[in-house]
Amino acid sequence: MEERLERKIWGRKTGVVMTAAVSAIAFILSLPFVSWVKVVNISSLFPKIGISREAAADLYQGYSIFNLLDFVQKGGQGKIGLYAMILLMLLIAAWYFNLAYLWKAVRNKKRKDGDLGLYAAGRLAMLSVLLLAGASVGFVAFSNSRFGMKGFSASPVIYLLSVLCIMAYAVIKRMEKKERELYHEHGLLKEIRKNWVLFLMLVPTFVYFMINSYLPMVGIYYAFTNFNFRDGLWASPFVGMKNFEFLLKGDLFRLTRNTVLYNVAFILLGNVLQIIFAILVSQVSKKWFQKTSQTLMFMPYFVSFVLLKVLVYNLFEYDYGLVNNIVTSLGGDKIDFYNTPAYWPFLIVLFNLWKGIGYGMVVYLASIMGIDGELYEAAKVDGANVFHQIRYITLPLLKPTFIILLLYSLGGIMKGQFELFYQMVGNNGVLYNVTDIIDTYVYRITMTQPLSIGLGTAAGLYQSVFGFVIVVVTNWLIKRKNPQYALF
Amino acid sequence: MKVKISKSMIVFQCIAYVLLALGAVVCVAPFLIILSGSLTDDAIIIKEGYSILPRGFTLAAYETIFKVPGEILQAYKMTIFYTVVGTVLGLLMITLTAYVISRKEFKYRNQVSFLIYFTTLFGGGMIPWYLMYANVLNLKGSTFPIWFPGLMSPFLIILMRTFISESVPDAITESAKLDGAGHVTIFFRIILPVLGPGLATVGLFLALGYWNDWYRSSMFSVSQDTWELQFYLYNLLNASSSMKQMAQSANIAMTDIPTQSMKLAMAVVVTGPVLLFYPFVQRYFVSGITVGAVKG
Repeated sequence: MEERLERKIWGRKTGVVMTAAVSAIAFILSLPFVSWVKVVNISSLFPKIGISREAAADLYQGYSIFNLLDFVQKGGQGKIGLYAMILLMLLIAAWYFNLAYLWKAVRNKKRKDGDLGLYAAGRLAMLSVLLLAGASVGFVAFSNSRFGMKGFSASPVIYLLSVLCIMAYAVIKRMEKKERELYHEHGLLKEIRKNWVLFLMLVPTFVYFMINSYLPMVGIYYAFTNFNFRDGLWASPFVGMKNFEFLLKGDLFRLTRNTVLYNVAFILLGNVLQIIFAILVSQVSKKWFQKTSQTLMFMPYFVSFVLLKVLVYNLFEYDYGLVNNIVTSLGGDKIDFYNTPAYWPFLIVLFNLWKGIGYGMVVYLASIMGIDGELYEAAKVDGANVFHQIRYITLPLLKPTFIILLLYSLGGIMKGQFELFYQMVGNNGVLYNVTDIIDTYVYRITMTQPLSIGLGTAAGLYQSVFGFVIVVVTNWLIKRKNPQYALF
Repeated sequence: MKVKISKSMIVFQCIAYVLLALGAVVCVAPFLIILSGSLTDDAIIIKEGYSILPRGFTLAAYETIFKVPGEILQAYKMTIFYTVVGTVLGLLMITLTAYVISRKEFKYRNQVSFLIYFTTLFGGGMIPWYLMYANVLNLKGSTFPIWFPGLMSPFLIILMRTFISESVPDAITESAKLDGAGHVTIFFRIILPVLGPGLATVGLFLALGYWNDWYRSSMFSVSQDTWELQFYLYNLLNASSSMKQMAQSANIAMTDIPTQSMKLAMAVVVTGPVLLFYPFVQRYFVSGITVGAVKG
């Protein structure tokens, strides 16, 4: 067997085909119709954990990882919900890795490091299935201890799959070893031994991103619960898609509309204004004027949004505000800004431009400075005036920067400028219809309505997922058309 | 060579000067309004409203603030603490990370970079993040959740990596390695000494972030002792109750407090340090954005 695997043509092909088959089997066995967890001792279990006869009618005898949450929801078993959610996430990861391996095995594209990429994908696929299997066994034990009796049992499918995966893993490892010798590559353990200092340097960063980014991702589970602090992180009742349905019926459309439209306005107007001013600054003849105007226009970037709140209040307050002062001195009637929603879209866009213009100017100035001066000289010789130069040299050469910035902000189109909106509008309910964005909505829930935490998480998750899809799709489209503009 | 100034050039220059002057005024005028308001007699504000130039010049607002400086000094102290701890620690962590992912011999540099970058693409959202600190780690009320989340950001790590690869060519670290230098030696003796501008830029971005933050206090502070300066200002603007409290502890009748001008004076006191430093450090931000922009 081993000799065969080492043979380049026939042996390896067999190895890949065999392991890919395991991958396919793992995928099929994890589809919803195969049950991984069996419900046993139903007659004593259901009364004990408080499942009524009517509720029991909706339940099955066996569950796949995919519909375990169904049991949690219909049986009202919030205490095993979070774990079931983690299993579901592992399942999705396993699907992804196995399909990726199958795809790579079928395509069989040669790279400069031979088949190492293929083997790495294969090992990852096998490991993900093993992890899923291990976690499932753990889940059964966990649930049984929560129930206080044996209520779940792990199906033989799990064990069968584990054995298959361990075998496939060994086969891949074996093939990989030869390949590594061929290309002078090494694995993770050797890399850690060789560069342990570098790994040590990464430890604080690892801790940081775990606490601040990756572990909280597990918390998207609360989007599917009716979270309350009495039942806590582990036992809040699972309600499935209820929160999303509620959002869909209520605020979701308005929030999305506001978030997206404001961002579109910010992006388009912001970039145009920044380009105009960057060109003006770059063309002005006096150096001191260049410096001073740029410095002054950059200033708003440096102050906090709380100061922005002071400013807005100062300008638009009903009794003492400067704008009303001017209006009355011109003989007009005072305007009640804080009670008139119609003004706020303009004001918010205005102040966003005000705060961001300096930063964007610097970005565009950097790429204007990167333009070869000889181009302008040549144009002058040919009799082009300054408007021609801008039209035919500067603007076309700014296009790549513009497109990259545009794509970058397109990726963030679902992310609202929380600080801007919150400080400008605050808790002024009169204006919510035109000023509420997803971020302010979620923040308000977090701070003032702890009972709606599930709802807030759902809104946040919707924002994250939608934003993620937009980034990935945009990037994919760009990569196909114009790879140099791709973000990743 | 004598350059002939064409007509279109003159027209263009005029437009440019006018527009830029206008832009600069629009960007700066609001600050002047705040400053002049803080120096105006409160009675005049109430009667005639805010204006661009101070009328009835008085320092009463500042005097009131500093009559009982306890609260604001506490907020100042905490903000300086957060800023110093966060900037120093964050700078160290960012630089180390950037060093590691700029090593060509580090096999997993792409994977590590991706894991860092991925956090900008997808996240659990605000509530899971909040629950992580408040319920899982149970740190609500302590200072940790106020300074910790601001330590690093993918943008700053990538910025620092660019600075490292621009200021130290690979050939130098390669030859140092041949001479037997380990990563610690290379990092502290070769990279850090020439990384001045990079450290200044990233450090200033971090410091500015800490100074201007209000929102972590709003989520994680339980008592006023841990408030950030900006959050202190925010509360002053919102709640007249905090004004009343001040009046009581300063033994002034509520009606004698220059409420309007005091808010503005507080804004000046809070923002002052940033604007004082601004002319001197501005170029580091410009260089940072330029480097970041060039490399995407």
